[in-house]
Amino acid sequence: MRLAVDVAGLHLKNPLIAASGTFGYGVEHAGFLDLNLLGGLVTKGLYLQPRDGCPTPRIAETPSGLLNAIGLQGVGVRAFVQDVLPRLAPYDTAVIVNVCGDTVDEYAEVARIVDDAPGVAAVEINISCPNVKVGGMAFGGDPEMTFAVVAAVRKSTRLPVIPKLSPNVADITVFARVAEDAGADALSCINTVLGLAIDVEARRPRLAFGTGGLSGPAIRPIAVRMAWQAARAVRIPVIGVGGIGSAADALEFMLAGCRAVQIGTANFVDPAVYERILAELRDYMERHGLRDINSVVGGLTFPNDAPPLGVRE
Amino acid sequence: MLANRNAPLLAREPLEGAYVLLTFRHPEVAAAARAGQYVMIKAGASADPPLRRPFSVMTVDPKEESFTIFLKAVGAGSRALAGLRVGDTAACLGPLGRPFTPPPEGSEALLVAGGYGIAPFVIFADELRREGRKARVFYGGRTAGDLQIRDAFAERAVPVMTATEDGSLGHHGRVTEPLEAHLDVGAAAPTLYACGPDAMLHAVARLAARRGLPAQVSLDPWMGCGIGTCLGCVVPIQRAEDARPRYRCACTEGPVFDAVTVVWSGEQSSLARRRALEAAPA
Repeated sequence: MRLAVDVAGLHLKNPLIAASGTFGYGVEHAGFLDLNLLGGLVTKGLYLQPRDGCPTPRIAETPSGLLNAIGLQGVGVRAFVQDVLPRLAPYDTAVIVNVCGDTVDEYAEVARIVDDAPGVAAVEINISCPNVKVGGMAFGGDPEMTFAVVAAVRKSTRLPVIPKLSPNVADITVFARVAEDAGADALSCINTVLGLAIDVEARRPRLAFGTGGLSGPAIRPIAVRMAWQAARAVRIPVIGVGGIGSAADALEFMLAGCRAVQIGTANFVDPAVYERILAELRDYMERHGLRDINSVVGGLTFPNDAPPLGVRE
Repeated sequence: MLANRNAPLLAREPLEGAYVLLTFRHPEVAAAARAGQYVMIKAGASADPPLRRPFSVMTVDPKEESFTIFLKAVGAGSRALAGLRVGDTAACLGPLGRPFTPPPEGSEALLVAGGYGIAPFVIFADELRREGRKARVFYGGRTAGDLQIRDAFAERAVPVMTATEDGSLGHHGRVTEPLEAHLDVGAAAPTLYACGPDAMLHAVARLAARRGLPAQVSLDPWMGCGIGTCLGCVVPIQRAEDARPRYRCACTEGPVFDAVTVVWSGEQSSLARRRALEAAPA
């Protein structure tokens, strides 16, 4: 049974990747999870400098979801490369570094530093974080800025470049094509959905930042739809992400055209999620007589070949 | 040793009101948990609510490979746990977090609890007895029904002073009042430990700072993961080596913190205040 997938020049032993911001820098999990089980992991977003992130409270539970405004608290890319990266070296999994910036130049500089570091498989570009005042979603919501950031990172590294797209746009296919034109090797779809939760007793937002990014099973149908749209719009591979907690969830994205998937909020809920999903995937393949997981990619069919309603072609 | 397991419920003891004691089988927690440490636990696999919940370990039984938590069913997560039946399992990761540090020899441990903040002090009473330290509990709540865990201390021969805001049990008022009274007459140089609502922790921290006593507080912010990756539970902490407060994970660097390092909302940490005073020209 073949679970290995190839995405953007990366050979992953299976299609499961830990999503940025839900897996720390990877090493936090090593005590109770065999990191070798993962196809890959994406680090928490990194800037040139360490960052404090947002004031608290930063997280709130909502129905089947998690609303967060962490604000990219982190150690900075140099500390990551020096102190954390060597601790990931023993593991056979693809380390993908999520790069951030307040400016186009900062994204490029972070990517250049990562490019020089041993043991990094690819760069994911964070142009979709909803919880920062500059950069993040502000760049990923503007096609010209999206092009500028992706092109600048493309120039600054030899590693595969994977922009992570925001769902908080009217038409994700525009951004998928722009990113492809700027030299992206693959796309991660999607980041969190912009939300607002209100404490009605206090008449204030439940998060100190105000709005936040919604993740978890609550957003999965949105994510599947957008990943499906993006996959149809570009030639480069799409990595699906949004509310995956089981093999069935992962398969939704793969049937919609994704070559690999990322597990996010489920990392908080169940540290053993990878073992479970891998077992469920094997079971699915057995039940469906599949030898290669890649054979499900894009396997979604519509009754009578009718195009789905509600989505412009 | 930290372990993630489906822990079967061995025993369920409903108490008054929405309170219940739940005992789970989890060999690693039973063997290694120390006072102040907690588990992240969730009943069932429903996506709603999605997250596990942190609960202090109240007691352990290494022979039975079990541990007990004390909870009040107040929200969806705790209600689901309280509704488990013996034999059901709960997803459980632990033991987690930084425990209480016992007092130096000769220093009496004063354990100040508000409501279900009492839980870690039962296992702490056992640890203190093993270490040959004296302990005394100050246990406060809104009403008598909030003070469910009193027999456990009687069994351990640990004196308990109770306080309720409505006067239905013990001192009529806040738990810090009998604590202050004891500090005036009790043994010199005690060490304070506090677990409960933020306002009580802050009051204990202020009191300790005023009297120059060491205090450890167990903070209870909303936690997402328990392992330091979601960064949702951070609290502003300023240690001696920090030029300014830094957000630190309560889940991994706490939940127990030295009270002088905690930056309470709208204030500096007492450590920073002390240093500012020392630096100021006389």
